[in-house]
Amino acid sequence: MGRYFGRKLGIYVLTFFVAVTINWIIPRFMPGDPVRTMVSRAGLQDPAGVAAMREYYTNLFGFDLPIWQQYLNFWGELLQGNFGTSLWAYPQPVGSIILAAVPYTLGLLLPAILLSWWAGNKFGAYAARKKVLDNTVLPVWYVLTATPYMWLAILLAWALGKVAGIFPVGRSFSASLQPEWSWLFINDLISHWFLPFLSLFLVMFGGWAIGMRNLVIYELEADYANYLGALGAPQRLVRRYAFRNALLPQVTGLALQLGVIVGGQIVTEIVFDYRGLGYLVLQAINANDLFLLQGIFLFIVIGVLVANFIIDIVYVLVDPRTRVGMSA
Amino acid sequence: MRKRNRFLVLLAAVGLVATACTGAEGDGASAGSGSYPRNQTLFTSGSQWGVPSNANPFRQGDYATGTVGLLYETLFLFDPLGSKYEPWLAEKDEWVDDKTYQVTLREGLKWSDDEPITAEDVAFTINLGKMKTVPYNPLYSSIESVEAVDELTTKVTFSEPHYQQWANWVYFNPIVPKHLWDGRSEKDIMQGANFDKPVGSGPYLVEAHDQDRMVWKKNENWWGKDKLDLDMKPTYIVDLVNSSNEAALGQVLQGEIDLSNNFLPGIASLVKGGYKLETYYKDAPYMLAANTTWLVPNTTKAPLNDPAFRRALAFSVDTDKIVNSVYNNIVQKADPTGLLPIWDKYIDKGVVDELGPTYDTGEAKTLLSQAGYRDTNGDGFVENKDGSPISLKLATPSGWTDWNEAGRVIADSAKAAGIQLTAETPAAEVVQDQRESGQFDLILNNDRQMDDTPWRYYEYIFGLPVLENQTTINYGRYENQQAWDLVTQLDGTKVDDQAGMSALMSQLQRIQLTEEPVIPLWYNGLWAQYSNAVWTNWPSADGGQIVPTMWRGYPQKGAIKMLAELKPAPEEQ
Amino acid sequence: MTQQNTDPVGADVEPTPVGAATSEVATVPGVATVHTAPVRREALYFARRNKKLLGGLAVVLVFLLLGLLGPLFTGDDPLAYVGPPSASPSGEWLFGTTTFGQDVFAQFVHGLRATFFVGVVAALISGVLGMVIGFTSGYRGGLLDEILNMVTNIVLVLPVLAVLMVVVAYLEVRSLTSQAIIIGLYNWPWVARAVRAQTLSLRAREFVDLAKLSGAPVHRIIFREIAPNMASYLFMVFILLFGGAVLFAATLDFIGLGPTDGTSLGLMLNQAKQWSAMNLGLWWWFIPPGLGITVIVSAMYIMNVGLDEVFNPKLRES
Repeated sequence: MGRYFGRKLGIYVLTFFVAVTINWIIPRFMPGDPVRTMVSRAGLQDPAGVAAMREYYTNLFGFDLPIWQQYLNFWGELLQGNFGTSLWAYPQPVGSIILAAVPYTLGLLLPAILLSWWAGNKFGAYAARKKVLDNTVLPVWYVLTATPYMWLAILLAWALGKVAGIFPVGRSFSASLQPEWSWLFINDLISHWFLPFLSLFLVMFGGWAIGMRNLVIYELEADYANYLGALGAPQRLVRRYAFRNALLPQVTGLALQLGVIVGGQIVTEIVFDYRGLGYLVLQAINANDLFLLQGIFLFIVIGVLVANFIIDIVYVLVDPRTRVGMSA
Repeated sequence: MRKRNRFLVLLAAVGLVATACTGAEGDGASAGSGSYPRNQTLFTSGSQWGVPSNANPFRQGDYATGTVGLLYETLFLFDPLGSKYEPWLAEKDEWVDDKTYQVTLREGLKWSDDEPITAEDVAFTINLGKMKTVPYNPLYSSIESVEAVDELTTKVTFSEPHYQQWANWVYFNPIVPKHLWDGRSEKDIMQGANFDKPVGSGPYLVEAHDQDRMVWKKNENWWGKDKLDLDMKPTYIVDLVNSSNEAALGQVLQGEIDLSNNFLPGIASLVKGGYKLETYYKDAPYMLAANTTWLVPNTTKAPLNDPAFRRALAFSVDTDKIVNSVYNNIVQKADPTGLLPIWDKYIDKGVVDELGPTYDTGEAKTLLSQAGYRDTNGDGFVENKDGSPISLKLATPSGWTDWNEAGRVIADSAKAAGIQLTAETPAAEVVQDQRESGQFDLILNNDRQMDDTPWRYYEYIFGLPVLENQTTINYGRYENQQAWDLVTQLDGTKVDDQAGMSALMSQLQRIQLTEEPVIPLWYNGLWAQYSNAVWTNWPSADGGQIVPTMWRGYPQKGAIKMLAELKPAPEEQ
Repeated sequence: MTQQNTDPVGADVEPTPVGAATSEVATVPGVATVHTAPVRREALYFARRNKKLLGGLAVVLVFLLLGLLGPLFTGDDPLAYVGPPSASPSGEWLFGTTTFGQDVFAQFVHGLRATFFVGVVAALISGVLGMVIGFTSGYRGGLLDEILNMVTNIVLVLPVLAVLMVVVAYLEVRSLTSQAIIIGLYNWPWVARAVRAQTLSLRAREFVDLAKLSGAPVHRIIFREIAPNMASYLFMVFILLFGGAVLFAATLDFIGLGPTDGTSLGLMLNQAKQWSAMNLGLWWWFIPPGLGITVIVSAMYIMNVGLDEVFNPKLRES
């Protein structure tokens, strides 16, 4: 067991190392100079002033050091939890900007993933091998899972927000409110949360339901199921076994899906101007804020790695076979 | 089965809660604690694109909306619509002699911490110009001495007077309190966020700032209430950061934003569509003209280094199509001189009639062939004089949708005249890089706003010397010493010497129209659309003529007075 | 089946049972089902009778034809201002016009072209990469396998869209081709993983041993013996890759990181949003492009289910 997790952890650490390095390299070898971005913001004309400003920012961002030292410093700062200074929100540190956005992202993502996974599995298993139901809902699920996240988001915003006027569109809470613990604010928060949540939920739901439906069909065709059936076991029992066995790959699927889901989350936040990490990504790109972009990217990678690790553990917990294998 | 039911119940509950609270919201913003009472709050948008990150008036490119105007104030205002300077902190000013300027403050002014505002503060602020990174450092180098003569009077002695630049300075740059800023290092002054309860002289104080908003609260003890008889109506001003114009439009339509200074495409149809929306003009162009969009050729590259070619290019552009199709008539075609309508009196109509280019594909073709550009290889496009093919690129920043569209129109009409021109949309950062280092063929630019004097425009067009990096002016790297001498002479002309200014500008316009160092296309609008849902009595052509925007640099152009003119909308039943 | 006990998630030895392998392909969640049955002659018989396959194929073909032929009728420049501004759909303007008077239908058919182009090129690139790496890794084993597997696992865990955004954001000029290549270069890991697993199981089969005994070179064994046995699977992988690439491209286009010239369905969505089509009520501007993507990709997926049923007797409707 220890060896198993040790090995997993090794891969994650290596992945992290690679991600950090890529993350450090990319912006440095691409066009775009944060120093100039900052200098031009000061709106100076006089060459002496521009030069002085350049020097200041070059020094601030550490670009005057040799490249290997910049890389080492990057790691050093990173391990102290320091992601640098944002240009978009200069002079705020990247770390605090990200931390402020995380609750909004998780608040959307976690319920959407968990509820869609749970509901998708239930409905998928239910529909499997029930001809009429299967033939009616399956196409719907395929359409859902093939829908681009942002298009569904736009449709929902247009239909339920703009035309029907049931939900507000844009921002995570009304402009006239300040965050605080009051019913007014919480209500407002939820009403702004619902549409982005719904659009994420629907797309993911389609995927999980299809996955489960296929898996259950496979399981029902498996030898053990036929054998149980031949022995005269009730259909309910057979289905329950099939469901249980099919659940495991769905857990793995969850791990593999995380990267894609994060992408969907990003565009959904952009459509709804929801102030999570995805919204920040767009702001960082527009403002050429490579430090913020690096920070968010790292944060997402860490998040995905941690989630993967948790799913690994869950897998071991729910699959008795793996436990036997490891202790042996 | 049981579990699924539970799930459905949960979903239904979430839906119900959500619907319930939107219902409450629809009833018209019941204001509770922790919220800004809707009927006392002005919501604005469109001036702040990043996070409000500082209230530092010296960071002219990124200070939070309102830092100058609401918090810090200038000695004078300049009203571009009435074309006059108005005393603000100052009571009067005068040039004692050709090189000595004297300005007198109003009596009894106070900072928000109750300290008096004195000539010491004015002298201190001017003297900050000795720091290299303070924006007015170049101007400061022509100042010999600054002296607080008495409590209210400041005397500035110049070694060489730049009347135009100085007139610009006194209305554009705010005065900061010496007793709090003295002793700050250059780094503090240029990099400080200044968000910790900053002390200013203006009608509003910083209330809160967040990632997507800047909140100002009325300063009840503001001096102007008595001395100017101006009472700012909104108790709170919330300036919202929107990630896109589209988001802003949605909020304007929902009545969540009162004043949007965003570019809102389609506004022409919405103004007439019963949304309680209003603009400065009731009909096209709806907006005031705020700045000129120039087509900037790189005059160091062949064939753009040839004035004849640039003139042909100027004749080829179908600006009407840009105005009609891209902008749906919310902008106006620019005068051939590029001078804004507020500067109409400075335009030498004779010169324009004689030389000014108009859209005429045939004329463009004639000019090209007269100048020796012919299609020698039969591909439909003219070649360089040495026979090498011409292939020009017009770069507009990716995501600047209106310019991207305009770029396509320009390229199409240039092609029709036989000039091989393609429109490109590289990342904004790349365009900036090319612009500053001079590696572009053609770009669009509108870096100069409406101002007190066209001198700023001519500095932008003709400014010398050309440096390795051109950061703010003369991106086309056009070198004409004679023209620059005229611009310098203009700077040395007093702002009340209209005849002297006009004479110089007429010469400049002749050079400009023969040489076409930059080609004016259209006037970008002073985007402003107001919702009458909560506040009324907005600026308009036939009402209070005030520039209706919160953009940086505009409160001191009179926009600050708009806040006193507002009236609460009548209660709706 | 015995291998499954040692490693469920597959860092080391890949499980091969049907169920677990399904999740390997789950980049598009749960759509594909994996098995290694060789293509049988009878498959064609069932293919002609499979409604899902035929229906999906028909839809895809219709859109493909529309994309190929449509531009011949609508002219070369879908961005030209040809009609009245903001006209709603009518006989003259099938899908209406944009605020500038551009023909939305013309943009749509040109966009379809771009969509198929990006989908096919990206799918080919990642398909080939994934197969080569998967085959090599699975067949050779040893240290090479360890390394390739490590690389695969690393790329698999990095959040795809976030990486693409960072990469694309810094490209100076972006074209349709560069977009296709970037997406292609990023989407191979799950293919590699699944192919590796399949190869591992096939490697142990008798006919492969036979080939080895007869002294056939490695590449011959891979391409002559192993690949054909996975043909049906690889074909379905290609379809999934196509769908994934189309969705990715649309997402990138939408957030403004698409090609800097031309048009595509994603760029249409981006334009529609930028020019406030939603707030101005121009629904004909943003519904067709999204609908086009959704219909093509879902038709592809349904086709895939059909194929699955054709190749896998157990799933056939009886």
